[in-house]
Amino acid sequence: MSSKFRDLLVTNILAVVAGLVVSGLLLLFLGKNPLEAMGTLFGSLFRDGYTVADIFVKATPLMFTALAFGFTFKANLFNIGAQGQFYLGAVTAVGFSLLMEGRLPGGLALVLIAALTILAGGLWGGLIGWLKARFNANEFLVSMMSTYVALNMMNYALRTFLMETKAEYPQTNPLDTSVWLPIFIPRTRLHIGFILAVLACVGIWVLLYKTPFGFRVRAVGNNKDAAEMAGISSKQIYIAAFFISGALAALGGFSEVNGVQHMLVQNFNPGVGSAGIGIAILANGDPIGIIFASILFGALQVGGNIMGQLSGIPSSIIDLMLGFVMVFVILSYYVREVWEDRREKARLKKAVNL
Amino acid sequence: MIISLLTRTITMGTPLLYGSLSEVYSERSGVMNTAIEGIFLMGAWAGFVGTYLTEGNLLIGLLAAVLAGILTAALYGWITIYLKQHQIVTGTAINILALGICAFFQRVIFGIPLSPLIVRPFQPIAIPLLSKIPVIGPILFNQNILTYLLFILVPAATFVLYKTSLGLSIRSIGENPEAGDVAGLKVEQIRFLTILFAGIMCGIGGAFYSIGYLGLFTTTIIGGRGWIAFAICFLGNWKPLGALSGTLIFGLAEALAIFMQSRGSGVFPNELFIALPYILTIVLTVGRRSFNVPAKLGVPYKKEG
Repeated sequence: MSSKFRDLLVTNILAVVAGLVVSGLLLLFLGKNPLEAMGTLFGSLFRDGYTVADIFVKATPLMFTALAFGFTFKANLFNIGAQGQFYLGAVTAVGFSLLMEGRLPGGLALVLIAALTILAGGLWGGLIGWLKARFNANEFLVSMMSTYVALNMMNYALRTFLMETKAEYPQTNPLDTSVWLPIFIPRTRLHIGFILAVLACVGIWVLLYKTPFGFRVRAVGNNKDAAEMAGISSKQIYIAAFFISGALAALGGFSEVNGVQHMLVQNFNPGVGSAGIGIAILANGDPIGIIFASILFGALQVGGNIMGQLSGIPSSIIDLMLGFVMVFVILSYYVREVWEDRREKARLKKAVNL
Repeated sequence: MIISLLTRTITMGTPLLYGSLSEVYSERSGVMNTAIEGIFLMGAWAGFVGTYLTEGNLLIGLLAAVLAGILTAALYGWITIYLKQHQIVTGTAINILALGICAFFQRVIFGIPLSPLIVRPFQPIAIPLLSKIPVIGPILFNQNILTYLLFILVPAATFVLYKTSLGLSIRSIGENPEAGDVAGLKVEQIRFLTILFAGIMCGIGGAFYSIGYLGLFTTTIIGGRGWIAFAICFLGNWKPLGALSGTLIFGLAEALAIFMQSRGSGVFPNELFIALPYILTIVLTVGRRSFNVPAKLGVPYKKEG
């Protein structure tokens, strides 16, 4: 194990623990015993197979949105709009599911729906990349604002052409079971969307580190001007990276709609975009690290929800934990820099003494 | 009708101007305040809590908002300026943390209330004589105290930035921190000060939504307005007067959105008007041509050696 990787592991674990400790201490304000609450949080995770599987269910959309942020991050681009792309994917998935169910065999329909979701999210993301490439628009701002546009598009769709037949609430009809993503562990909610998410992480890792395209993405991320000199068109990379990023986040929406919700309701999963950013930061943008970080955050969500049900602790504690963990993770970046610096100095000293 | 629309433009523009004016300062010194959305939220929340718990004392609420803004900004400034961590990443983290803190402590303090909690917000004060001027009077001189404060703050901010040595220091360390350092300027200290200033201003800006306008608090009360203020700084070419004109455009967009929604469904869906300010941000971001971006914007200053 290289000392750098060891540092990463040690500091990240410390950061997560510190984040949990601080948010746990705040439970004292509610008159709750933090140790008991944390005991409930972690103890309840393993109370039965259904709950354990739910950790992975919750981790699934997080992997997609974290990848969406992490992938553009490697090109030194900021896609802060994964939430909107996630919603767009959800709308696309539910729309085509309702259209295809009963008309096409389930498997074929699912493949087509996934492909259309990728296309929709990719075009939405690609548009942001194109605006950056063509007009030098600030992708950070554009992607941020695009979330609000997507949210309003979703609200509009749910109020009009996608609204349930009863026309009571802004939500769609439930999907036919033929277009549900199959569950691969019986008596749980764990659907193949999870496998798809893990494959996406591995696939993005291969794409980034084992292909010429990935090399170009990272080259633009490291030093755009040097990459341009070497004949890499950074503009093409902007568009391609954002296309992939948008498609990934949209797939998260597809997997939630067809795998878990089996319908679309207004304002579902409102924190999936920002949690994804947190996870990508915790994993330092590494696609494989994202798998583990997502599972950790999935566990916090499941445990946090149970904690809320059992001991009346508000579910906002999850946001609080997430926030503190993120801040400590950023502080751990600083600690790693200091350690790395110290090692470098020790190395130099040794070299001078020789 | 036009007069009421323009009056609302000024009202809706007020918090945006607090945000964008402070963003001009921090970005000119080289730091993007990407925690702006979180600081707005903290301001809105603390302002509401302070006012509610003192049975409607708006001044205490405003002070609480400023304090919350300063604390949040100080955390952001410490991590980005002194520990030199990534500004966008840190801002994102703090925005999430702010959301968690507000939601959690709102629950700690108020439990689950049976009826919505409301306070009486700052009321418009008609300025004698001036408010009687036709057209301009009701638009500009029948606003609340937070808006009037800007009548002083905008010229003051312009003056300080361009005509004082402090302003010169701020501008120079955003362009060339090395030279500033050699000339004896404390780069990190000045940057930290501009961020604290942003904490005060964005705290007030956030509080405007809760205790200056709506009289209530929800965790979605800011809804990206901090980011719009962030965008206005950028669209206004990093100038206080640019921020002012940008604010007027966005204030008008928000006023139009409210107006069209209250008029009920026409040809266009309501959602289009709600999304209007955000769409406008994208269009203007794409359409702008001139750039006056501070050379070292977003780059932490690291001394050699």
